[in-house]
Amino acid sequence: MQTQKAINTFVKETGGWVASQLEACTRCGMCAEACHFYQATGVPEYAPVWKVELLRRAYEQRFTVSGKVKLAIGLDAEISDEDLLKWSSYVYHACTVCNKCSMVCPMGIDLGTLIHDVRSGLAEAGVVPADLAAAVQKQLEEGSPLGMTDEVYADRLEWVTDDWEVDIPIDKEGAETLVVLSSIEVMKFPQNIAAVAEVLNAAGENWTLSTKAREVVNFGFYEGSHSHTTLFLKRLLDQAVAMGVKRLVVTECGHAYDALRWTAYNLMDIPDSLEITHITGLLGEYVSSGRIKLKGGAFNEGKITFHDACKIQRKGGHINEPRQILNILSPDAFVEMTPNREESICCGGGGGVIAIKDADPVRYAAFELKIDQVNKTGADTVVMSCSNCRLQFTDGKEHFNLDWKINGLTQMVADALAD
Amino acid sequence: MNWTTFLQFTRGPLFQASLLIFVGGMAYRLVRVVLLGWKGDKAPAKGSKLAGVVKTYLKGFLIFPFVPWVKRTFNRNPIIYLAGGLFHLGLFSAIILGTPHMLVWKSLLGFGWPTLPLPIVDWLSAASIAAMIALLFYRRTNPVLKLISGPAEWLNWLLVFLPMVTGYIMTHHLFFQYEVLFSLHMLSVDVLLIWIPLSRISHFMFYFFSRTIHGVEFGKRGVTP
Repeated sequence: MQTQKAINTFVKETGGWVASQLEACTRCGMCAEACHFYQATGVPEYAPVWKVELLRRAYEQRFTVSGKVKLAIGLDAEISDEDLLKWSSYVYHACTVCNKCSMVCPMGIDLGTLIHDVRSGLAEAGVVPADLAAAVQKQLEEGSPLGMTDEVYADRLEWVTDDWEVDIPIDKEGAETLVVLSSIEVMKFPQNIAAVAEVLNAAGENWTLSTKAREVVNFGFYEGSHSHTTLFLKRLLDQAVAMGVKRLVVTECGHAYDALRWTAYNLMDIPDSLEITHITGLLGEYVSSGRIKLKGGAFNEGKITFHDACKIQRKGGHINEPRQILNILSPDAFVEMTPNREESICCGGGGGVIAIKDADPVRYAAFELKIDQVNKTGADTVVMSCSNCRLQFTDGKEHFNLDWKINGLTQMVADALAD
Repeated sequence: MNWTTFLQFTRGPLFQASLLIFVGGMAYRLVRVVLLGWKGDKAPAKGSKLAGVVKTYLKGFLIFPFVPWVKRTFNRNPIIYLAGGLFHLGLFSAIILGTPHMLVWKSLLGFGWPTLPLPIVDWLSAASIAAMIALLFYRRTNPVLKLISGPAEWLNWLLVFLPMVTGYIMTHHLFFQYEVLFSLHMLSVDVLLIWIPLSRISHFMFYFFSRTIHGVEFGKRGVTP
């Protein structure tokens, strides 16, 4: 373990943006009440304020008078190996970086980003949970953490093309829109690939998939490593630039959208001519402009509710599009959860948590909040626009033996396309 | 030294020295943070950053303190919301709108302003003191607050509590001779002024950084902060 590397990273992360927010914290503890992991377990160490404690200590010991005094008189100690191990379990196992806490903080501190910075330090020191580290390694070597090698990718696409009888352009020259799938879709929800293709074809989009830029999932972003994050982003963006596309569309994946849409610009040069967007935004655009026509009321049976994903809705801003679509497809059946939109409670599986076996107990505990929320609406179907959430819902449904139908937004749109 | 000369010292040279340390210390803290450097954000915005900032300040100043139940977490933690809000309201009413304090400001700034009638300030101060006791009790019992509280937090509480309680007793002419209470009030204020730049009570300055950042972060994503 290289603890000093973690400390150096914390210090490096701490510019004015981070420092002013660490200074603003009054230690009121309100953020704990926003955290689904704290709410579900009651473990005080899961309070967001405690999760950023390492970053605060490193900052104060290095930059502030009070921090230096505290260190000198023994009120604080240097960050130790044990500290890193403890915080690894707090910030990787019990945080999805959903940023709900920042909405509750009376000072408005952007806690999610600060927790991501803590992950960055831990990643540099090599204290990433084994399952997550293994997935990163797999993505480095095979191009995908879920075992989606070049062969598997080609096979799956061929199978989807045949089975769903849909045209899927691959490496098409002159395409304007490059679509990058997540391996979750390719491996677990292949019907989503068909849905994406059907919708884009119906809209008359000049689009393509790429055999080189084929994995939108970014496990480097989960672990918080800048170098891995950048490497996985470059695999996509270099190819997008080489192909000369105007638009890169992230399919139903949340954190990948967060990484590409908001983080990538600060890690590398991205030409202004390239627009990065999410399939949810694209669906809204198609519906508004009339490029696709939907059968109104196509899903109007029972009750349908929408789960807002932290990275696509709260952090991505695609909050209205799903409502716009569901009000067409399910005008009577659509009901909102409480809280919803940007205040939504995270599913508990994001931020890499679902990939960590040891985190299963807290992940299921956090999901119980979601179960309660859905049950209060009386909905029998839950729709979402994030495959990672969908994985968590599918797994949670099985684990808790729930009588729900889980659906993806793109899937519903594809099924409701008017001829 | 008798109480009269001690009072002259605590409200004279010591107060002025404390004020200088307070202003100098806060300026140092501010400059230190600002000079750590600011990386620009190159991601193209989806919504208006300015709109986000305006909305978050409106929420932070108007909705949040006065209509706390708009936040769903209010129900999970009403003590912190109510006591925290009441404490700040009472504190600022007394130190800005209480007549004796306004006169101190006037002597420092050269101009004064209308103040609130004494009974109102008095009741708000009493509420503020009660809120502080509730917050202390809460900090001693809530598992998260116990975890995140160290000597600095207890000292923060004590050093804010002392000027408030001495000031309150003083206005009611209770227990002690007026000069004694006035001296103790001034002494506790002086100690607090020196302590603020060393502590998290300085959050009132960094609040404007974190709130603005919050507004920018949500505004650029086109999300209501």
